[in-house]
Amino acid sequence: MSINPSLSLAEYLERLPGTTFKKLYQQPSTTFAIFRRMLPHLAKTFVMRMLFLPHPMTLADLDAWVKPEAKRKKDQSLSILRSLHIVQISAPSKEKPQEIQLMSNFKRSLRLALTGGGNHNSFGVPSSLMVPPEIDLPFLDRYARKKWEDVLHFVVSSVGYKSSLGEGSGPNKGVKELLIAGQLVDRRPNGSLGITQAGFTFLLQEANAQVWTLLLLWLEVLGNNKSSGLDPVDMLSFLFMLASLELGRAYDTNALTEERRNMLPSLVDFGLIYIPQHKRSMFFPTRLATTLTSGGNSLRTISEGSLGLLGGGGTGEQAGSVVIETNYRLYAYTQSALQIAVLALFAKLNMRFPDMVAGRLSRASIRQAINFGITADQIISYLSAHAHEQMHRTAALTNKPVLPPTVVDQIRLWQLENERMKTTSGFLFRDFTDDKDYLDTARFSEEIGVLVWRNDNTRMFFANKHEQIKDFLKSRKKAE
Amino acid sequence: MPRAIRGVLIECDPSIKSIIVNIDSVNHDFIIEDLDEERVVVKENMVQLLKQKLEDRLKENLPPVDESGSE
Repeated sequence: MSINPSLSLAEYLERLPGTTFKKLYQQPSTTFAIFRRMLPHLAKTFVMRMLFLPHPMTLADLDAWVKPEAKRKKDQSLSILRSLHIVQISAPSKEKPQEIQLMSNFKRSLRLALTGGGNHNSFGVPSSLMVPPEIDLPFLDRYARKKWEDVLHFVVSSVGYKSSLGEGSGPNKGVKELLIAGQLVDRRPNGSLGITQAGFTFLLQEANAQVWTLLLLWLEVLGNNKSSGLDPVDMLSFLFMLASLELGRAYDTNALTEERRNMLPSLVDFGLIYIPQHKRSMFFPTRLATTLTSGGNSLRTISEGSLGLLGGGGTGEQAGSVVIETNYRLYAYTQSALQIAVLALFAKLNMRFPDMVAGRLSRASIRQAINFGITADQIISYLSAHAHEQMHRTAALTNKPVLPPTVVDQIRLWQLENERMKTTSGFLFRDFTDDKDYLDTARFSEEIGVLVWRNDNTRMFFANKHEQIKDFLKSRKKAE
Repeated sequence: MPRAIRGVLIECDPSIKSIIVNIDSVNHDFIIEDLDEERVVVKENMVQLLKQKLEDRLKENLPPVDESGSE
């Protein structure tokens, strides 16, 4: 079975069946995490207002909460709430108006999460043992950064510049195999490893998205492998629980179920948790774990800041090391093998000095990058995020943009040259029996935000998702 | 009863679209539906091949841009 490497959390969740959600929502921490991370503001407001209602309310009442001009937003929110199995809407009928209510599991768990109480232990059990004094926040941050950079290094090291690290210092074997299974890197015929298009996209994602990509891969690989004895649903709710833990605090491993204890070694490999050598019965979540469900991004990323994950200190490179001139020459004052490897993805580097590399952007180098799946905008934002202080100073003095406009334009033009077409996968709807049928369905898909293109003359439209449209068509058929 | 057909919507310049139609005309195994001047729906599993064929076609017709400039 092939695994989609660029799967986001939202897409992963949407594919889960309703029964899985029932199980997930038994845990207050999971419920809370999904509420916090997956819902747009309006949907959150709906949930909060319905949370303590004793009875279902009518859809008409809900409509009254929303200004008419925000109908589209409301419909999208409801559509998300339904796809995550958070609300239940009764089928339309003649006798009763349509009613909406929160799913009982979700409601109970979210109430518990907000008000406390119960003995579900779903927010972790703090360890009662003495915490070793050397384990403090900077220590955990350093540890997480090291682990995560190892992973990124491994992905990047197959291109251009070989990293100076030996074989042994990369991530654990299990992580490597996971990256191969997820097709972020693949084995070439000659036995060496090479980065794939998905790998490049992965590399330029923000750190939080990277962690999720890796974790979802992990869930899928284990889910496909029945013999592992791990239940992906339980794993997912464990991850959500980790996300609700407090950074810098020790938690008791004995309070976890055996399956969850078995997951710990892998989580150590990813750098999500730390287990002290001499005290195996406690674990510390790192910042990678505790920020899993926060919408904001407390980790700096490759595309917007330095790779030194949490900024400051450590061995990470400094932000702002790249100088680019109007003649497409590029200089980077860096020693970081990782940054050099990233630059080598889209620039032709031809000189390396002890603390600097020099190279050039060319049509061929940008083209190569684009073939690997990197977009011009990613390159440009990388360059501007890493622009050298001197570039900023000159720009401020002459009142010009930081990057030379000629270079920026040219990178975009090079991309246009290659990206001749825009592709969207989805479904073409056609053969509608009459105009009304067509117009209603097309309007419905526009309202839930899946419509990509429509042509009223030929009665066809293209949508990027079909599940809800199918339901809509079915319910129409019944109503007739 | 309306039908839903899985596919990939391709949006491009009319010139590119006519090349796509031309590529398809050999075996008719790419295009599901020709929508308008700038859009076609193509079979999902054929997109990669189509991109490659398009690239080859463009290479035939466009001379490679001269890479000038000193290193």
